[in-house]
Amino acid sequence: MALTSVEAFHSPADKASVVQLLQKHEDNALIVAGGTFLHGLASRGLLTGIEVLIDIQNSGLDNITINTDNVVIGATTRFAQLETSQEIAQEAWLGAVKDAIAYPPIQIMNSATVGGSIASSCPFFDLPTSFLALNGAAQAHGPDGSRDIPLEEFFSGLFENSLAPAEFVTAIKLPQPPANSASAFIKLETNANDLAIVNAAVALTLDAEKKCRQARVFVGGGMGETPVRASAAENLLTGAVVDEDSIAGAGEAAKSGVDPISDHRASAEYRAAMAKVLVEKALRKALARVD
Amino acid sequence: MKQIIQLDVNDEVHEIAVQPYDSLLRALRETLGLNASKRGCDSGGCGCCTVLLDGKAVYSCMTMAMQVKDRKVTTVEGLGKVAGLDPIQQAFIDADAVQCGYCTCGIMMAAKQLLAENPNPDEDAIRKGISGNLCRCTGYQKIIEAIQLASER
Repeated sequence: MALTSVEAFHSPADKASVVQLLQKHEDNALIVAGGTFLHGLASRGLLTGIEVLIDIQNSGLDNITINTDNVVIGATTRFAQLETSQEIAQEAWLGAVKDAIAYPPIQIMNSATVGGSIASSCPFFDLPTSFLALNGAAQAHGPDGSRDIPLEEFFSGLFENSLAPAEFVTAIKLPQPPANSASAFIKLETNANDLAIVNAAVALTLDAEKKCRQARVFVGGGMGETPVRASAAENLLTGAVVDEDSIAGAGEAAKSGVDPISDHRASAEYRAAMAKVLVEKALRKALARVD
Repeated sequence: MKQIIQLDVNDEVHEIAVQPYDSLLRALRETLGLNASKRGCDSGGCGCCTVLLDGKAVYSCMTMAMQVKDRKVTTVEGLGKVAGLDPIQQAFIDADAVQCGYCTCGIMMAAKQLLAENPNPDEDAIRKGISGNLCRCTGYQKIIEAIQLASER
């Protein structure tokens, strides 16, 4: 589907030039990178009036940086780059990221970018659910410099986010959790190349007695306008031993706390039932990864 | 407004005029006349437009021509010629892996990256490697056998 309203294509070499273009063209400009969701946005009528495309793939934003207290993933890092990162392959706390990129086909792995998965603000995507469970933040750059926006604030609605005018996503920051932490992600899909019917991501931190110090549980894929935090499930888990009883309780709590949509992929009732199953499975998967 | 870009396709550099919104697929088929890459869903769901970009399989319907200026594109036309087929092409013939043929070029390009990175894939790896490509004749078994055959040669 061609975006025939587009009159110019820019490929700026740095962040400042991106901001200048965004300031100049305002609502008529769109940031692109991998381009794998352009059709998805256009077919939903979300790209009317776009006259300028700004490709940020040459803007120096494709590095994965491992710091002592966090991991910073540049916005144009491709899924395939995540797959070859040793930290993401080996660190239990990053398991939810590793799991999420195990699903897409090779063509998406080679094109789609981490920043695009966030900035699209699509409630059916996988990585956002994982990044939310990992308490991630979007690094945004704009006319006033850079700021970090916690992802729970970033996703403000259906295909909407809290970026200010002329701001764009430059990286995702994932804070390193305490020891004995692990995360996991699971997706339910109709085929290998479809958006999620339901997905779930959990992050657990256990104490020395194997009790849960902290839990973050998110469900996405049509659960609402954004992925939804299952706070009741988190509260049940916190302070408890994570076993089949508490896992079943958390799954039930997650199901009770959602108000999913019905569409051609699944009914709301089915989505809610599967939210319970996926949260339970993701919890077992994360638990098995804690040292 | 159209712009002139240089496009390196199958080791030949072409100077072509494209619209800023043109997909790579459109540039290949409608400007360069390279019709092996097919326009199926035109939205990244079917895989029959798959080409290699610097050796990596991508959907050419979702890649913009303007994004490919300094990179190397390989299509099935660049895999082999009738007089010297690529082992993947020969294996598809020998394994009778073609029914209507619409998906074939895209699947061979996905298989090209798969075999370049994993010369001896097991069946699971082959299925994963072509999971971004649909065959609506549902001839997957022969396709998998063809890729196995190519890997053995």
